[in-house]
Amino acid sequence: MEKEFTPKIVGFLCNWCSYAGADLAGTSKLKMPPSLAVIRVMCSSRVDPVLVLRAFLRGADGVLIAGCHPGDCHYEKGNYYARRRFALLKSVVETLELDSERLQLSWVSASEGPRFQQVVTEFTEKLKKLGPNPMQEKTSM
Amino acid sequence: MKEKNGNVLIIGAGVAGMEASLLLANSDKKVYLVERTSYIGGNVIKFEKVFSNMECATCMLAPKQQELLANENIELLTLAEVIDVKGSAGDFTVKVRKKARYVDLQNCIGCSACFEPCPVSVKNEFEEGLSERKAIYVPCPGALPNVPAIDTENCVRFKGKDCQLCKEACMFEAIDFDQKDEELKLKVGAIIVATGFSTFDSKKTPHLGYGKLADVYTAFEFERMFASNGPTEGEIKLRNGETPKSAVIIHCVGREEKGYCSGVCCMYSLKFTHYLKEKLPEIKIAEFYSDLCIPGKSYQKFYEKTKTMGPEIIRFNEIEVVRTNGQLTVNYKPDPLTPKPQTLNTDMVILAPAIEPDGNANKLAEVVGIPQDEYGFFAEGHPEIDSVATQKEGIFIAGCVQGPKDIQDSVAQSEAAVGKILSLR
Amino acid sequence: MPMEEKIGVYVCECGPNIADKVDIDKVVETISSLPSVNVVERHKLLCSEDGKKFLKESIQKNELTRIVVAACSPKQHEVTFMKVCESAGINPYFFQLTNIREQCAWIIDDKEEATERTIRYIRAAIRRVLYHKALEKKEIEANPDVLVIGGGIAGLSASLLLASGDRKVYLIEKTKVVGGKVREFAKLFPRMEPCSDIISQKIKEVENNKNIEVHTDSEVSEVLGFLGNFVAKVNTSENKAIEQPSKQAIKEKGLENKELELKVGAVVVATGFDMFDPKQLPQYGYGKYDNVYTALEFEKMNAEGKILLKSGKPPKQIAIIHCVGREKVGYCSRVCCMYSLKFANYIKSKLPNVKVSHLYTDLTVPGKTYQKFYEQTKEKDVEFIRAQDIEITESNGQLTINHKGTHNPKPLNADMVILSSAITPSSDAHKLAEMLNISQGDNGFFVEEHPKLAPVSTSMEGIFITGCAQGPKNISDSIVQAQAVAGKILSSIIPGKKLELEVKTSEISEALCIGCQTCLTVCSYGAIYFDEIKRVCVVNEVLCRGCGNCVGSCPSGAASSKHFTTTQLHQEVVEALR
Repeated sequence: MEKEFTPKIVGFLCNWCSYAGADLAGTSKLKMPPSLAVIRVMCSSRVDPVLVLRAFLRGADGVLIAGCHPGDCHYEKGNYYARRRFALLKSVVETLELDSERLQLSWVSASEGPRFQQVVTEFTEKLKKLGPNPMQEKTSM
Repeated sequence: MKEKNGNVLIIGAGVAGMEASLLLANSDKKVYLVERTSYIGGNVIKFEKVFSNMECATCMLAPKQQELLANENIELLTLAEVIDVKGSAGDFTVKVRKKARYVDLQNCIGCSACFEPCPVSVKNEFEEGLSERKAIYVPCPGALPNVPAIDTENCVRFKGKDCQLCKEACMFEAIDFDQKDEELKLKVGAIIVATGFSTFDSKKTPHLGYGKLADVYTAFEFERMFASNGPTEGEIKLRNGETPKSAVIIHCVGREEKGYCSGVCCMYSLKFTHYLKEKLPEIKIAEFYSDLCIPGKSYQKFYEKTKTMGPEIIRFNEIEVVRTNGQLTVNYKPDPLTPKPQTLNTDMVILAPAIEPDGNANKLAEVVGIPQDEYGFFAEGHPEIDSVATQKEGIFIAGCVQGPKDIQDSVAQSEAAVGKILSLR
Repeated sequence: MPMEEKIGVYVCECGPNIADKVDIDKVVETISSLPSVNVVERHKLLCSEDGKKFLKESIQKNELTRIVVAACSPKQHEVTFMKVCESAGINPYFFQLTNIREQCAWIIDDKEEATERTIRYIRAAIRRVLYHKALEKKEIEANPDVLVIGGGIAGLSASLLLASGDRKVYLIEKTKVVGGKVREFAKLFPRMEPCSDIISQKIKEVENNKNIEVHTDSEVSEVLGFLGNFVAKVNTSENKAIEQPSKQAIKEKGLENKELELKVGAVVVATGFDMFDPKQLPQYGYGKYDNVYTALEFEKMNAEGKILLKSGKPPKQIAIIHCVGREKVGYCSRVCCMYSLKFANYIKSKLPNVKVSHLYTDLTVPGKTYQKFYEQTKEKDVEFIRAQDIEITESNGQLTINHKGTHNPKPLNADMVILSSAITPSSDAHKLAEMLNISQGDNGFFVEEHPKLAPVSTSMEGIFITGCAQGPKNISDSIVQAQAVAGKILSSIIPGKKLELEVKTSEISEALCIGCQTCLTVCSYGAIYFDEIKRVCVVNEVLCRGCGNCVGSCPSGAASSKHFTTTQLHQEVVEALR
């Protein structure tokens, strides 16, 4: 039997809220699909578009950016900048003939272990439907 | 002349005590932080969000908590109480009774493997009794330090049974039944009392139905219900498991009995409308208040934003909560008065009780030798110009131990106490 | 690829926590087969004393240059293992902790999948650590002296705590005298204690403190620099000649404008407040009718002695109107209800038979002692009317207050009206905000660094706000904030001690920067400045907190976060996806 497609997700998690939320999901032993590779950054605003595009070019089926809820940023308003860049980035992703749904921005706070689980699970499901990153074949040549 | 002792004792590891500890530790003072419970963060870590920026309280506090736990100048003594203070400014001798945790702080890695086998199940007081915990437990997921404690009142081993299931489950030899309660003697030059508050017991206002009517909740119960690390993982539901379609929030509970306005209840009551609307956008909400107390530069804006979420905001003169035919009903006389009293049916009622001195305030006041005011709060050196000093030189107060206030003012007071201490050189 | 490195990988079993969920044998076998790795070891609990010793010895024995630990969350033990690296003689930043417990063992049910994921994480960490750079802690000298702007109660209180043997305070006051508005107050609510003693005591203490240099009639015109190293210019036209006998001397000196240059480590903004001008709301008749007074006017009249009408006769009926301007400014000033109650007490103690009526909307009496003051005031036969839509008219010297009272909407007659106005930011707040690069909220008050946890700090490190400059508040809270500022400064800038800086800051490559200054606009901490000569942006490491927003915004790839460089993150991503 062919193994079910498990999407590869790169998740940029801000150190203060989302990474802590992921930790809480861990300590609470909340189960998730093994799809996500977490990359810790200090703030969601650190995620420059180049990093995201490179992740897609390297075959990521999805990219998740997770930061503090609006208003909660440890650095005052980094997440607002992240949100703005994300909006722009979505359209760039589409010009690469990728479904912009493959890029997701979510707010996860340090107390939201269950929410982190939900975000990862739902994004994984979504990517399963979208299938593998079509660029993977092109770039691997 | 005798050299002054530079060490500082801080009593209470809530938001005020933590801030003071960190500032003092960063200025190379040795800090003893004495906390009665097994965790740090005080009441604030029970909040999912704080008004008026609706910031996640855990996100806000966790970096401070971690910094505190890692700071080598701070000696945290949990499950500990100050039982005696002798001496004077610059030279206090303090006795602290530290209860055994029975779990080694160094060895425990916080994996929680010990919870499952524990045969005991009791109501979790941190969760306002809305969920159960074991006799070996942490109050909630994410609590720091992430090391459980054994509650000897409920643990069957401490009642004479030969149970050691938790110990067997622990792979790190962290559980140590032989730990003993200790009495420590500390030498410090200054003391900050930051023991926080309790809330007015809503059972003392029987006309509001708390304790008798199932779906009448206190503010803290509702806070925990909404908390994503709480007993329902943040799901708002009634005792029968159903989702409420309407909710009533009653401000000023206990104001008359206490004789003062706590200054924060209006704000946190308005926050509850945000909570409710976030999870249940269709829910009907009524906020009952007597005087809207929203002082300061940013609070009215919050009130106006809350209004746009559609709650009915009703000024009342008299109010009671009853159950008729299984339905919660609020009977009230609005202000201005209408010819007939009004009624409103609701699925749940949330009470916003006043802030009052912590339950142990009287005992501590005596130990520390600080007079209390007529309300039981610690009396300040001078209410208008020196509210963090006390009548006893070298002893300071910060946060709600001095009087009801919000987080901002509590933090300001703790920083002020530090200012007073560091200026004495 | 960087030059040859000797890499050690250490997998922690975390007792059963990782070992039960991840096939560690397989992990070790797979990682060992990687050509770039020199040592792969497992340990049952690396964070234990035994584990740390094992790690240290292994690093030394194998002369490793890069370390990867696969264990728990960096929040838990990153610092622990960095210290071990340091003690083993290698730079702690040549180390990467990868979190295989919270992110693999505890959340992935299937052991095979968790194992596969663990290997992926470790490979990514190995790849990342190869690109790590050695980072060192930096320290700078900091000037302990403080500039306090504003000589009101907050500025005075802050100065007194700050000034000590080895710290100088420069207190700059715009007007001729220190003491601020509180000087005008006869008494303090709620205990009706005389105010003059308190304020003159503070002034005396400040004057007698040889570490405080007071400059009245002075204004700060420029502040440059940053935490620990500010340079301020102060224009002063003060006459130090006050004590000189001849009036002539005062005049001459008074004409002399000087510019002082002050070097300080921190700046405190204690510029107080103004009052809302009721002329903006013509319905109150202020400026039009003789016997309508502002709160400060009434305070002054009372302090000077008699409460009288313009006609010189004593009043019979006084109305005190709360919340004047509240709607317009958009906030409740917190103190107006209380000072209105104080006015009733002034009146009743001087003119017991005068009828006093309060027209209010919501009674704001927060805190443990204020409601009692209200109740005591009420007992003095003082009327309280909840009223809306107030409008004042006059005929034949008789004032009439029309309102939509919720209980008793009858027009009210009075011969004197006192308007309790809102507290507003001081009129020159915007100038200071610009000069100091601190922000004002939409209501004009200076914005604190964090509304809960950092009420007297600003996002510009080393610049503090206190008292009503931060927001409307009473005297007690203003003093608390002033003491809080002292707490923040005394605990962070210590004479003889250097300031330790954040290690993981941003940096901007001079070669790559195109001078667009995008980074400068996104930085919340004013940590980036533009070098006009080189036409490039430069990071001030004293102020940078390392969020990396500038890096995310940089269009030319010139900005970079230390320890989170694009290369490091990219390499981590590449390997995680392989």
